[in-house]
Amino acid sequence: MPNMARPGGLAPVAGAGGKTRVVAVTGAAGFLGSHLVGLLEEDERIGRVVALDVKAPQSVGKKTRSYEVDLTLSAAETRIAEILTAERVDAIAHLAFLSSPTHATAWCHELESVGTMHVAVAARQAQVRKLVLWSQTWLYGAHPSNPNFLTEKLPLRAPTAEPYFADKMEAEEQARKLAQRSPGAVVTILRTAPILGPMVNNTFTRYLSRKLVPTMMGFDPLVQFLHEADAIAALHLALLRDAPGTFNIVGDGVLPLSTVIKLAGRVALPIPHPLAETIVGLGWIAQLVDAPPSFLKYLRFLCVADARKAREIMGFRPAYTSREAVLDFVNAERLRANRLLSETAA
Amino acid sequence: MTDRKKRAPRPRRATKAPGRRKTSPPTTSTEAVVASQADPPEAAAPEPAPLEATELAGKPDVPARMRELEERLDRMIDAHARDRGISDGPPPPASRPTPPPSRPAPPPEGMLDTARELLSADFYLRKWGRMGLRNRSQEVDDFGYDPVYERKVLPFFEFLYEKYFRVEAQGLENVPNEGRCLLVANHSGTIPFDGIMLRLAVRREHPRHRDVRWLAEDVIFHFPFLGSFTARVGAVRACQENAERLLGHEALVAVFPEGMKGIGKLFKERYKLQRFGRGGFVKLCLRTRTPVVPVAIVGGEETNPMLARVEYLTQAIGIPYLPVTPTFPALGPVGLMPAPTKWKIVVGAPIDLGEYGAESADDEVLVGKLTERVRSAIQAMLDRAVSERRSVWFG
Repeated sequence: MPNMARPGGLAPVAGAGGKTRVVAVTGAAGFLGSHLVGLLEEDERIGRVVALDVKAPQSVGKKTRSYEVDLTLSAAETRIAEILTAERVDAIAHLAFLSSPTHATAWCHELESVGTMHVAVAARQAQVRKLVLWSQTWLYGAHPSNPNFLTEKLPLRAPTAEPYFADKMEAEEQARKLAQRSPGAVVTILRTAPILGPMVNNTFTRYLSRKLVPTMMGFDPLVQFLHEADAIAALHLALLRDAPGTFNIVGDGVLPLSTVIKLAGRVALPIPHPLAETIVGLGWIAQLVDAPPSFLKYLRFLCVADARKAREIMGFRPAYTSREAVLDFVNAERLRANRLLSETAA
Repeated sequence: MTDRKKRAPRPRRATKAPGRRKTSPPTTSTEAVVASQADPPEAAAPEPAPLEATELAGKPDVPARMRELEERLDRMIDAHARDRGISDGPPPPASRPTPPPSRPAPPPEGMLDTARELLSADFYLRKWGRMGLRNRSQEVDDFGYDPVYERKVLPFFEFLYEKYFRVEAQGLENVPNEGRCLLVANHSGTIPFDGIMLRLAVRREHPRHRDVRWLAEDVIFHFPFLGSFTARVGAVRACQENAERLLGHEALVAVFPEGMKGIGKLFKERYKLQRFGRGGFVKLCLRTRTPVVPVAIVGGEETNPMLARVEYLTQAIGIPYLPVTPTFPALGPVGLMPAPTKWKIVVGAPIDLGEYGAESADDEVLVGKLTERVRSAIQAMLDRAVSERRSVWFG
């Protein structure tokens, strides 16, 4: 491993006269990945960006070198390790995760759980100093016994029978294992709240884009969101600063789900939850609905995370509150409906 | 939004998040994402780039500017919709920065547009959605307390307080005027009204009209309607994290350490305090250096005199037990109506735990002793108030 300028401690940037950093981004063609690459392109503290995905991101610029890597292949590990060593990568942002549940559960497992293992092992081989992993606060699970603000110390209690959650929990486990095995490495896990914003497209934005939004009759949980710009800013910040550990990345403030639906100008369709579970269960099998029935719990119970640790240790302050993120999303939807905004959601 | 359906995730052999459309134009950075909102004409004020924004957060002008931008967008959308009707004409090309031509609509067409708008289902759906917000606050606090909603349901509770239970409050001067404080009370009634009555008593009779947040049992939050309702009117799920957060905000918090055992007391056990949990409230007070104020609530334990608890098979429908009172389940749900007993809320002198340090929260022996001290203080207050009372109905 050639010698590299490696700032120690909590220094936020590479030394003034020293070398700039090399950052690799997996899942670089995805929403978070492509925007993170775009942001890193503009950052003069970053010398080079290595984009890893099955195709090149659209935000590739002068600094970016794009590699085609398929994490679901068993050869991925050696290939990533080769790339990381050749490019002398300092830090990896691992963002190759699905933002919506899929029926291809085996493929999803290969990509998320095994794929993270490949990335973690390759990072160890190439002696990469830092791994930033994208995770979600949904992994805490929605339970009536949750405290109103979940802290990072609490166990992850999402339904493990649901591959969407189980694979992401395994991925976090892989990242923690890497942190244990290579003591010098900085492993940062960022658990984001559901991301909303003008351009993002995920399970929740599709849920809110329906004319009739199904809710669970008699339940009105408090929800929180993260603006897409804040999500990318948090990933950027985690790459620049050394903050090992797990952090909840969430917008300030909470909103009742009913208020969110009303802000969106949609009409709630309350369904008794046992009935909804049957309908959605059948609909999921028939591929008529967007999410499996295990997601319905998030429409009934609390799953809200505490932002304090990220604020105090990582120094992350979101620019948008949960409410502003909703409004920003809603405004973009309205512009699209009026054909004033022709860019489609990513 | 039927076209969004097409964007539903399809598994591809890709390492990226699915659901991204190939046709979406390149947005090179988050700046561009945010700016896309300001793309339409004359919204030229640049949004801050995300990282800058992170550092700027907390400055008061950011929300103000966002509101201003939102208003401008609203006006633009309205003007635009007026200009060219709602849904005609081809979409403008992607990257045209100039405003769409503002040709004045001839008057007859304008009327036609209005008619068309009034006939569209979308218009009514939107109106309906907006109307739903009338009875709700724009923003709720961390725990979902909704002041507008509470004001709406308050007359009912005021009626209970003044006319039905004729609550008499004593010793409210013992509640401090400011700062954190923990009110510890006996729990009562098959359907507990004690939390909301204590809240009303402090708000009405205390010189500073402080707001009490009371901690409610977990089990409430399992049920539809009940959980969201109690949270909106000011209850908070009972757990250490929530209580600590509330006290951290210097709130006045009420707890019922008897918990479910308190609600489930049989009629013959009335005003006999049950075990005070595991002394969690004492640990909380020691850790957060909070004074304890004992409260005795008399009258509540006769509202639904429970003769027996049926615990057989009730787990299947998710409730811990089925209460049997003289009127329930014989009269159906009506039988759960509380009896109009006369209530008295007695607030005792504060018990100061300040002499013990935060580290003594781990000392089980001390915690046990202090718990017993608080418990016996409340029991003594209860005994005195019950013996002074001549009638359950008239006090």
